[in-house]
Amino acid sequence: MSKVRTRIRLPRPTIYVLLVLFSLFCLFPFLWLLRSSFMTSREIFTLPPHLLPAAPQWHNYVDIFKVLPFARYFLNTLEIVALNVVGALISNTFIAFAFARIKFRGRSVMYALCIATLMLPQTVTMIPLFVEWKIFHGINTYAPLTVPAFFGNAFYIFLLNQFFKTIPTEYDEAAFVDGANFFQIVTRIVVPLSQPALAVVALFTALASWNDFMGPFLYLNDQNKYTLSLGLKYLISGYSVIGQWQVLMAASVLIVLPVALLFFSMQRYFIEGLTMSGLKG
Amino acid sequence: MRSSGAARETIIKNGRKRNYLTRYNNFWGWLFITPVVLGLSLWVAFPLGLSLVASFTKWDLITRPVFVGFKNYIDMFVFDPLFWQAVVVTLYYTLVGVSLQIVLAFGAAMLLNTKVRGMNFFRTLFYLPSLVPVIVSSTLWMWLYNPQFGLLNLLLIHLGLEPQKWVYGTATVIPSLILMSIWGVGNIIVIFLAGLQDIPKQLLEAVEIDGGNAFHSFRHVIVPLMTPTILYNVVIGIINGFQTFTQPYIMTNGGPANASLFYVLHLYRQAFMFSKMGYANAMAWFVFIATGVISIIIFKTSKLWVFYQGEDKK
Amino acid sequence: MRNKRIAFFAALAVLAASLAIAENVKLTFVYWGSPNEDIALKEAFKSFEAANPGITVEPMYIQGDISGTEYAAKLRAMAETDTLPDLGYFRPDQFGEFASAGYMLDLTNLVQRENMGKAYLPQVWLKVNNRIYGAYTAAECQMMFYNKDVLKKAGVPLPPSDYRKGWSWDQFVKYCRMITTDYKGRHPGDAGFDDRQVATYGVSLQLWHAMLTPPLWSGGGGIVSSDGRKFLMDSPESIDVIQKIADLINKEKVMPYTSPSSTSQAGLPAPPVMLANGQLGFYITGQWELLDIAKMNFPMGIGALPIFKKPAQMYISGASVIFKSTKHPKEAWLLYKWMMTPDKTLNLYSSGLWMPTKASWYSDPSDLAKWTDNPVHPPEYRTAVIDSMKIAETIPEARVKNYTQIVNECVNPQLDRVWLGEITAQEALKKAGELVRRQNLLQGTW
Repeated sequence: MSKVRTRIRLPRPTIYVLLVLFSLFCLFPFLWLLRSSFMTSREIFTLPPHLLPAAPQWHNYVDIFKVLPFARYFLNTLEIVALNVVGALISNTFIAFAFARIKFRGRSVMYALCIATLMLPQTVTMIPLFVEWKIFHGINTYAPLTVPAFFGNAFYIFLLNQFFKTIPTEYDEAAFVDGANFFQIVTRIVVPLSQPALAVVALFTALASWNDFMGPFLYLNDQNKYTLSLGLKYLISGYSVIGQWQVLMAASVLIVLPVALLFFSMQRYFIEGLTMSGLKG
Repeated sequence: MRSSGAARETIIKNGRKRNYLTRYNNFWGWLFITPVVLGLSLWVAFPLGLSLVASFTKWDLITRPVFVGFKNYIDMFVFDPLFWQAVVVTLYYTLVGVSLQIVLAFGAAMLLNTKVRGMNFFRTLFYLPSLVPVIVSSTLWMWLYNPQFGLLNLLLIHLGLEPQKWVYGTATVIPSLILMSIWGVGNIIVIFLAGLQDIPKQLLEAVEIDGGNAFHSFRHVIVPLMTPTILYNVVIGIINGFQTFTQPYIMTNGGPANASLFYVLHLYRQAFMFSKMGYANAMAWFVFIATGVISIIIFKTSKLWVFYQGEDKK
Repeated sequence: MRNKRIAFFAALAVLAASLAIAENVKLTFVYWGSPNEDIALKEAFKSFEAANPGITVEPMYIQGDISGTEYAAKLRAMAETDTLPDLGYFRPDQFGEFASAGYMLDLTNLVQRENMGKAYLPQVWLKVNNRIYGAYTAAECQMMFYNKDVLKKAGVPLPPSDYRKGWSWDQFVKYCRMITTDYKGRHPGDAGFDDRQVATYGVSLQLWHAMLTPPLWSGGGGIVSSDGRKFLMDSPESIDVIQKIADLINKEKVMPYTSPSSTSQAGLPAPPVMLANGQLGFYITGQWELLDIAKMNFPMGIGALPIFKKPAQMYISGASVIFKSTKHPKEAWLLYKWMMTPDKTLNLYSSGLWMPTKASWYSDPSDLAKWTDNPVHPPEYRTAVIDSMKIAETIPEARVKNYTQIVNECVNPQLDRVWLGEITAQEALKKAGELVRRQNLLQGTW
């Protein structure tokens, strides 16, 4: 048997050179971000530029909290993230379960409709949704940013549907014999068995709402209600710190840090979730 | 005789049971999907309908909408020069951007699928940029692109090359935004990587046995088997490309000289700065139809190049 | 028994009456601005509450972006959703549209009753159809900062401080060339001058429409005539001024390229920082930047603006209005008046952010001392800036219809290409003129 593998066979040094090059491309912006976040306003604009700060300016990270109410924005963002995660977990679990394991009339049509919305650009509904929320008196509240999470999301329904199909149906039948109904099957059997998949849904939801810019940007007027993304926006273009790139960079680091920590602590679920989304079904 | 009676009885029983089960299933099924039924009506069907109706009106959200027929659509296609500018900019960014993203992500995934030391480290590294919130990546890249103090011009000057204006130049702004999008290509890499790892080894061995080299297995096994994944990424890439807003809004505000006036940016301004809700909704419907048509074209032509494994397509 | 009952009801009535008086009126005041402005305004609200028991002020701070488009969009959204606050700041370029649509309270009688008309600068009152619907919040203009050390090092004399005696444009450009040096100390025009790595630039000039207006007026041009009927930017005078400013970047190489169309102007390496670092000689910008620049530690000077043909100055500011939808017009007017009294918000003026709208604060020495007698305002501020307000003309954004559209959609995209050196001012502004006329944007005034 020859040593055949599912891989291209370039000379090892070439592979390394390419890998390192792409890694540098991925990594350097981060390093530049970190470097700039520790400089003084004078140093950051020195020509020729310094590669590293002469002395790290930790106070840049303190200054952010003086320039904008970043702590407030952090709590606001957490509130939105939490509501989204709860909403996504509850709604999508039941919806996906129904599509995966209950044979009801109209199931395939509804599932197709649901999945079709994956292809719907949000641009299309951006304005009518704004009008709709005006009717519901939801402008300048968190409702438009959180309530829809409780009504299911096509992508997560798809992910969970794929996962639920892998759970043997014998479990359901056994539970029926014990007199359980579908609700109990979901809460007692499916949920405990699906923790990895649910973790993926929770993670992706958290990330998406943490990173969301457009939603808060359109719906929130009052500065006290802003999220971190919006806060950063006003660090860039607001009146506060024009050209104070070191503060801007420090704020960016603070916004990325929780995401990076979340990623490193739950890397397995991330990769799993992405893999599942890649048309495996 | 007896046996037939008993048989009939069981049939009736089963029939009842099936009936009951059907009703039971219908009840629970629809109960569980109630949220998504509501969701589809509230967040998809109603807005789409509202948008369609509004696109035939002149409406500022304050006074009552006035029916104007196809005026908004005519304005859009005939009288608004910025509309076509926005279409061209968005298509340029999307088509070139998606092609490069797919090619590079595919290449990167192939690299990451080799067996060399430290692979997990590289995989993490390649993925990391795609986690960054778009607002942060926009900020960061604006700084990297700074004509005087940015990292990129620094590098170019060091290499003896001409420094660029990047997002601040008319010709360079879209390529710069594409470069930035390539930085965040980690999602696609991971999806490709998963696809590559699913390729059955026997197929590659078969090529080898037939005397084929690495290029043959790439050309005849890897690429065909990856076509469904490529199709998926192309479609998602195009849809996302059409929705680009935050990067140009933060970094260039559509400039210089409207060279980065993306479709959604133009639409946003019409709706929220000029209160032209009717016009903005017409623009929204145009992009809806365009996306639909493009998707259909891609799926129809995909039969020519996408290879579905014989087993089951699900 | 009966008496007791009467006494009880009487007591109840008194209680109810006092409750009604004590019932708090809450006013919401909306505004944009820097965090410093935010602090100063909140202090003003506090002192107002102390002086007017029974009224509380709820600040609604919407920072928005520098260009003001986001603030405008938010206020528009509030108008559309019937959630406008009681009073506050308003973007002047939207004033005409909203005042005509009936969103603003008519202040004409109130201003007349209180004899306020004459006490303020003549530019202050914002009118539609000869009725007052608002006022400029402050007085602001253009000014030129410089770093004394940089000028001395380059052998450049300090600019005149009398606004009428500013340098001619050619003189100014000559001095800018003397200041501009690449990292090897060569000047533009010297053999081997490397314009890619300039250590010190002569000048940075803000390029958004208001900042172009005083130079345009100085050269005999303009953007749109004050009656809103004539597009002035494609006149030979305007073209000449724009070309000369663009030449600073592309021909003379004495000014860094900036991107005025970016909301953030974030392409700028922050001119105030460059000025303080000694990387910039002159900085021509809004007078409000004094607030930040005065806090930076460098030998700062203020000079007369360079002159094309005649001295020119602009009057620019945000607007303040009371929204018609307010349920407490009386209380809103009290707060509105309070905010128009510079004594109550002194910090906004003494810190260098604003100039007052009250006429006596420019002429009466004791009033003048209140806001200029401090280290933030150097002595030449009076002759170079305050005195120039005598000739200040108002930026026509609040009066001329479609002003924002003319500037943002027709002019700016064309000018972008001039600043980039891709086309000449002549080509760009002819095109802009065509666009303005084709879209029929010259519709007069509100």
